[in-house]
Amino acid sequence: MERIGEIVATSSNSLTAVSFTLHQPPALGSLVRVDVEGERRTVYGVVSFGTTTGLDPGRRVVRRSTEDVHDAAIYAEHPQLEKTLRTEFTALLVGYCGPDGRVHQHLPPQPPPLHYSVCTCDAEEVERFSQQRSYFRLLLAAAGELPPEQLLAAHIRETAAARGDDGEWLAAAAREVAALLKGEYDRLLGLLQAIEPR
Amino acid sequence: MPLDLAVIQPHIARMAAQAHTQSLADHLEAACARLREADAAHLLEVIAERERSKERIPWLVAKPREEIGAAYPPPPLPSPDFSVVATDGSAIPPDRHSPLRFFVLNTGLARLTYGQRPDAHLWARSLFCADEEDLYITAAGRRIPVEGARLGLRMALEELGALFEAAQEAPAAGPVLALHDGSLIFWALHNEEEAVLRYFLPQILDSLERFQKAGIAVASYISYPGAQDVANSLRLLVCGKDAQHCGQCAGASAEERALCRALADFRDQALFLRHLQPGQRSAICDSTSAILDRYGEQRVQFFYLHTGEEIARLEAPQWVMQDETSRRFLHAAVADQCRRGRGYPQALIEAHEEAVITTGEHRLVEQMVEEALAAQGVVYVRSAKDRSKRERGV
Repeated sequence: MERIGEIVATSSNSLTAVSFTLHQPPALGSLVRVDVEGERRTVYGVVSFGTTTGLDPGRRVVRRSTEDVHDAAIYAEHPQLEKTLRTEFTALLVGYCGPDGRVHQHLPPQPPPLHYSVCTCDAEEVERFSQQRSYFRLLLAAAGELPPEQLLAAHIRETAAARGDDGEWLAAAAREVAALLKGEYDRLLGLLQAIEPR
Repeated sequence: MPLDLAVIQPHIARMAAQAHTQSLADHLEAACARLREADAAHLLEVIAERERSKERIPWLVAKPREEIGAAYPPPPLPSPDFSVVATDGSAIPPDRHSPLRFFVLNTGLARLTYGQRPDAHLWARSLFCADEEDLYITAAGRRIPVEGARLGLRMALEELGALFEAAQEAPAAGPVLALHDGSLIFWALHNEEEAVLRYFLPQILDSLERFQKAGIAVASYISYPGAQDVANSLRLLVCGKDAQHCGQCAGASAEERALCRALADFRDQALFLRHLQPGQRSAICDSTSAILDRYGEQRVQFFYLHTGEEIARLEAPQWVMQDETSRRFLHAAVADQCRRGRGYPQALIEAHEEAVITTGEHRLVEQMVEEALAAQGVVYVRSAKDRSKRERGV
């Protein structure tokens, strides 16, 4: 479990965090956690969006590259960029774990607190949380920046990989999705294509 | 809309037409030719002669320390590892519509490190001043309020102090350039009474001396400078002898008189924008600003630099300008900063961003004062004029 960001906006269904590392928000669809000290509660979220922008909305990002200096070299040439840009990510809340240790796959009773740390989840935790998949509904119903089925597809890919390319789980997830999107052929097809193992 | 734009518009058009006449362009070209041909030794002789005579030179002139028409290309940076530290300041000045007297100074700082281990440190230092010794300078029992130009001097002192500390904390690898925003020639002091001058000047000179003792090159950067020192020097060469009766020079041709009159309106930057190529600097010059006579070893000299976008004026104490290593580093590092900052030093851009006090923050400070007073049971009453401006009732 690694601290990867700090919450700068929070609500009942999502959080936004500043990533500790520029350009490296957690992978789209990955499971993250927020430990709420004192209440012995862990809130889970699925990373639903990432963005890198100027820290000050009034400052426009301008071109920095030249013939000789481009890509990563730009950041060595302009060290202030590390301090004037920021990477943020949003996670949709998909569940929580109470003091009894039980995992609940529905929205937590309270939003996670501002300024608390967002952490990665290790493989074991991903496996434990994704054992049940009722939270898929929350992801499909989300009105975020991305089409919900693409977000769910990203989550399924990330989770299957974290579970060691668990084909059985992937098949179960696909069946779950097929049930959820029955009657919505186009969306289902797009999702299934996006999670098809290569 | 109470401002009648229809009335103003034709005047704007006329002003623009007057600003760009062919004769002005011709005079600018002629002035540049004079700059190219001028002999520094001769110019210094003319200035010295004028200074010896009773005939005071009525303008500030540049005394070149190198050939005045010289143009130096930027030297290479002395090492890939170096740091540039910059400061800029912003203030909430004392408000005469407020029942309480206070001011706020915010010094923005940027320390950019280049080379093997690139790094940036951006921060600000805020200072709330409401004590008697901050608000007034005492002179023979009188209290002289710190406001207007005096507040500007106080701000500059804060900036120079913070700049020194930030420069000292720079990584040891490679040299450090400390850049101040604005002029190091605090000519406004000359308009102040002696007590004010005695209060500020020793502190300013101490600040500069600290840089000297620590071996840190310090300079100031003026964007779009309004100075006319070099243009005025050229006037001395054009109009010959009688500087006090400018425009009536006996023996001068009509053409020379016209050029002299035109030079009176030219800023140095207009001359050097034609004279210098991007990256090049002009000759180093002494300024004849009277306040510099009290600077001693910290006497400030200047040169102009073509940043690629405009002409900037760089000012630094003579121990920076006359030391070859420091001078070359100053030129190379500022040219490099302007390249990185697309025409303006990147470190100054970042320092400015840190220094800015927004209107919202200004209001917040006022609100905090109001609340603090309310907690003491005092109602904060602003002037009726100020309240009416805020309310803007119809």
